[in-house]
Amino acid sequence: MEILNQLGQIFLHLIQESGFGKLSWENYVMVGISFVLMYLAIKKQFEPLLLLPIAFGMCLVNLFPGIMGLPTTEMLTEAEMLARNLDPSTYTTTVYDGVTYYNHIEYGGLFYYLYQGVKLGIYPPLIFLGIGCMTDFGPLIANPKSFILGAAAQIGIFLTFIIATALGIFTPAEAASIAIIGGADGPTAIFVTTKLAPQLLGPIAVAAYSYMALVPIIQPPIMRALTTKKERSVVMGQLRPVSKLERVLFPIIVVVLVALLLPDAAPLVGMLMLGNLFKESGVVDRINKTAQNELMNIITIFLGVTVGATATGKVFLTVQTAGIIALGLFAFCLATACGVLFGKLMYIFTKGKVNPLIGSAGVSAVPMAARISQKVGQEENPGNFLLMHAMGPNVAGVIGSAVAAGVLLSVISPG
Amino acid sequence: MQNMMQAFILLLAGFLVVFSVLILLIVVVTLYSKIIRAAQNAGEKKKAKKQNEDKQESAENNKVRAVTRAEIEDDDGEIPGEIVAVIAAAVDAVYGEKSHKIKSVRKSRPARSAWARAGVLQNTRPF
Repeated sequence: MEILNQLGQIFLHLIQESGFGKLSWENYVMVGISFVLMYLAIKKQFEPLLLLPIAFGMCLVNLFPGIMGLPTTEMLTEAEMLARNLDPSTYTTTVYDGVTYYNHIEYGGLFYYLYQGVKLGIYPPLIFLGIGCMTDFGPLIANPKSFILGAAAQIGIFLTFIIATALGIFTPAEAASIAIIGGADGPTAIFVTTKLAPQLLGPIAVAAYSYMALVPIIQPPIMRALTTKKERSVVMGQLRPVSKLERVLFPIIVVVLVALLLPDAAPLVGMLMLGNLFKESGVVDRINKTAQNELMNIITIFLGVTVGATATGKVFLTVQTAGIIALGLFAFCLATACGVLFGKLMYIFTKGKVNPLIGSAGVSAVPMAARISQKVGQEENPGNFLLMHAMGPNVAGVIGSAVAAGVLLSVISPG
Repeated sequence: MQNMMQAFILLLAGFLVVFSVLILLIVVVTLYSKIIRAAQNAGEKKKAKKQNEDKQESAENNKVRAVTRAEIEDDDGEIPGEIVAVIAAAVDAVYGEKSHKIKSVRKSRPARSAWARAGVLQNTRPF
């Protein structure tokens, strides 16, 4: 009988300590959402490189919240230490009210430490370093007017900021973090949110990457609605070849100008341009390969799982999150529309030499947005190749969203 | 209300700053591209001009030498001047850009007699 009692108590303890005894319904809903995201990443291949780690991080933290647990220090008396079979001689002590306490440190969970790279704003600039190594600014140098389209797409960010503020449920810092989703640039959205509204990081990161993954579904209807068949059929002239010297000087000139004018954008733009200088200089091939492969992959894993791990049930399943998801979509659509409308302006001013479809690539989402411009253009004229023309606004959008982030960070104070 | 005011100010500031920075980049990129291209074009023209001059000079040298040599050979009645000119042109086509001089043109003579060559061929023929 005694044995049965003890066995029962052991099983009861195991059940109480297991997830079944500790998790709430919100955690289970989040696990369900993570499964949907995993399905989208694996089956539909929507941004799988980021969506899969994000989804798995989300799943893991909701099954075992301790993996994101903070480190704690418990002050124990000598009797308590001995009761727990701990050796007091190996601990530091604190004397309080004449009583000696031993500082028993419980270390944080694995993701807590990996998350410090997000919290301290380390990972997004490192991701930008890798992006810089992979980016060809040639089309932008060949046609610098593309910068205008990169700027136009950022209007969506600022208009969404106004609307989010007008709703009254978000502080200006939160509204700015939500609005930056319109830049369609994951690392920039994370960078701004960790500085301005870290409590919203989970929903904002998930929304930003989800919309980036959904570019092929969201953008084409807007592009078709805002352009005529004649405009979409415009065949653009061949871009001029760009010399190596121009390519090497470009990152140096951009970083000097942006860092002087907008120091808050310097970490993102600086690392982007450093990566590009690695690529274009052609003298640091090993570093270039490491930055765009091994380093980028490692940071992507850490960033993905830890951003996903911020989406715990209690934080994610709120009215605020629904607002963020809706406003993020609005920001993204608005950015696309502004880019296309500016493309139309350029079409008019150049007397029909610019195809307005390349304007939608001004939202970052490299290179997916440029591919969409190419695809929609080819629907009208199969012999039309807009890809290289769209890459100009596309990479200008990366610089533009980093500049917009710099503006938000310099004007708005966290809170 | 104060938040909205701040939002509008930010909207205007954001437009102005983002557009100003990117327009400044357009100006700078356009300017430095023009300067670089102008410098590179000037350099290429200079190089092309120098190459043309070198080619002309080398052709003239070859011609002079060919003629001189041809005269000598013609005196001996061995190599006609036209053949020396053709050889000089062929050499110039191969060494075109490098500086070169043709010092002499000699008719090659077989090192062995026909009987000796037949013997070597017989002994070295593969199975």
